[in-house]
Amino acid sequence: MTIIVQAQNISKWYGKVIGLNNFSITVESGITGIVGPNGAGKSTFFKLLTGNIKVNAGQLNVLGQQPWRNPAQLSQIGFCPDYDFLPGELNGREYLRFVGGLHGMNGPKLKGRIDEVLNVVGMTKDAERQMGGYSKGMRQRLKIAGSLLHDPRLLLLDEPLTGTDPVVRKELIDLIRDLNKMHGHDVIVSSHVLHEIERMTHMVALIYKGRAVASGDILEIRHLMSDHPHNILIEGMGMVDLAKVLVTKAFTVSVELNPDRRRLMVKVDQPEQFFDHIPLLVEESGCQLERVESLDDDLESVFRYLVGW
Amino acid sequence: MMTWNPYSAIWWGGEMYLEASIIGLRTMVQFSVKKLLLHKRWVIVAMLTLLVAGVMGYVATVSDADISTASNMMNLLMLTFLLPVLALIYGASMIRNEIDDRSIIQVITSPLDRRVAYLGYYISLAVVLSILLSIVTAVGGICFFLMNGWSDGAAELITAFIAVQVIGAIAYSALFLVMGVALKQPIYLGLVYVFVWEGYVGSLPGAIGEYTIRHQLQVIASGMLHDVNIASTGGDGGMAAIILVVLSIVFLALGASLFRDKEVM
Repeated sequence: MTIIVQAQNISKWYGKVIGLNNFSITVESGITGIVGPNGAGKSTFFKLLTGNIKVNAGQLNVLGQQPWRNPAQLSQIGFCPDYDFLPGELNGREYLRFVGGLHGMNGPKLKGRIDEVLNVVGMTKDAERQMGGYSKGMRQRLKIAGSLLHDPRLLLLDEPLTGTDPVVRKELIDLIRDLNKMHGHDVIVSSHVLHEIERMTHMVALIYKGRAVASGDILEIRHLMSDHPHNILIEGMGMVDLAKVLVTKAFTVSVELNPDRRRLMVKVDQPEQFFDHIPLLVEESGCQLERVESLDDDLESVFRYLVGW
Repeated sequence: MMTWNPYSAIWWGGEMYLEASIIGLRTMVQFSVKKLLLHKRWVIVAMLTLLVAGVMGYVATVSDADISTASNMMNLLMLTFLLPVLALIYGASMIRNEIDDRSIIQVITSPLDRRVAYLGYYISLAVVLSILLSIVTAVGGICFFLMNGWSDGAAELITAFIAVQVIGAIAYSALFLVMGVALKQPIYLGLVYVFVWEGYVGSLPGAIGEYTIRHQLQVIASGMLHDVNIASTGGDGGMAAIILVVLSIVFLALGASLFRDKEVM
């Protein structure tokens, strides 16, 4: 396997705040998931990989080169940040023309490539609309299209699923898998939800408080935490009926219904079983799901559990 | 040996094609000019234009008003006030706003050298300021001479002030853009420069009063006009132009260097 990223004891601090602390990781080709709660250092890691910030200590190599003050390398890297930065006054195609121009592309080749990536992310028919009117899922797709446009070898996707509904989430997961399988991009994707990453890859690195907690095959890591209970937030219609069904399931520890009857907090001791059962739960209860999310606190507690803190 | 393909490969053996840099620069200018012109600040500019037109039209009807009055008013309204203030509003916030709202990510994660990108920002800013200030200056001058009667030298005066505004836009853009990269709150230092340094120190007698962009612009304007002396300013217009060009290049180089080494959080 080819080594894509090699980080050796890298540290990054912002004044008195430590972003990464003696962090080491080796990423090989394929899809690799970076999992950690908010504030764990995932975004700092991506900023280092793209050369937006420089390491204070340690050695970092991306595709065999150091990224800081190395714009040349960015022709091989596509970056999709976790925040929304798309200019609302442009339409999708104009935005991609802007991105292409920055990468030195123009003319018929750029036009052809824009059509190609719009097709890959399924945004062809909405490309002429102003981005200010896009849904969250459409904006995520277009951000990914922008990172794909110059056909980079390495794609960095920082929390691409955050804030999307379950349907869009599934579509984006399928897309990310295809980007590797069908189009040959190596992908590093971050999330604070392990189950989402699990649907894309079996290679993960767990990061917590700026340190690499564990890395390797997800099955081994999941085995370590399989007995740890998870809190899951569910939003949608028909939550009362869903609660009734949930309390009958063996994996459910407790169910708490919000007074507005649109939110449900469920604690499960076998999260993988819960997530596998979601289609069945929807069918049995007749509910309509708008959001299903493992909470950060829960993941933090998992990490504390893993590192024994 | 690096590979080449039509899309990602603007690289060949590690050297970036000049063509790709030019495309990148052109893209920066196109999109930044559009962004600046479409920004809601145009409402402020439109209101200022109306204000200038009203003031110039009113002053033109006061008894004894002549071309010297027009010159003095254009110096006061355009050169002393509007030019630095608009340059500050547009320039100090241009890159700083993109850093703060993080929309700059697209620029700094592209292979375009950041110094080239900075040049793109600068060209866009100078072009937009030149366009806006030329319009305001032309509107103000025409209003004056329509109300006062079109006299000999009116067109020359308006043209000279437009030219000086363009030169001023080039110099002030370089100054305020670098402030936006170097400082988190560039507007404060910009205000100090415009109102304390140029407004107060610049009006002191002696050589110290000449160390302002405004003074150099007034020298250039006076040199352009045969019968009108701007703010009683004497001096070599050519030398003043050279000073401003050198200043602009120094600020531009400094800003580009700071931008290249800037960590964007």
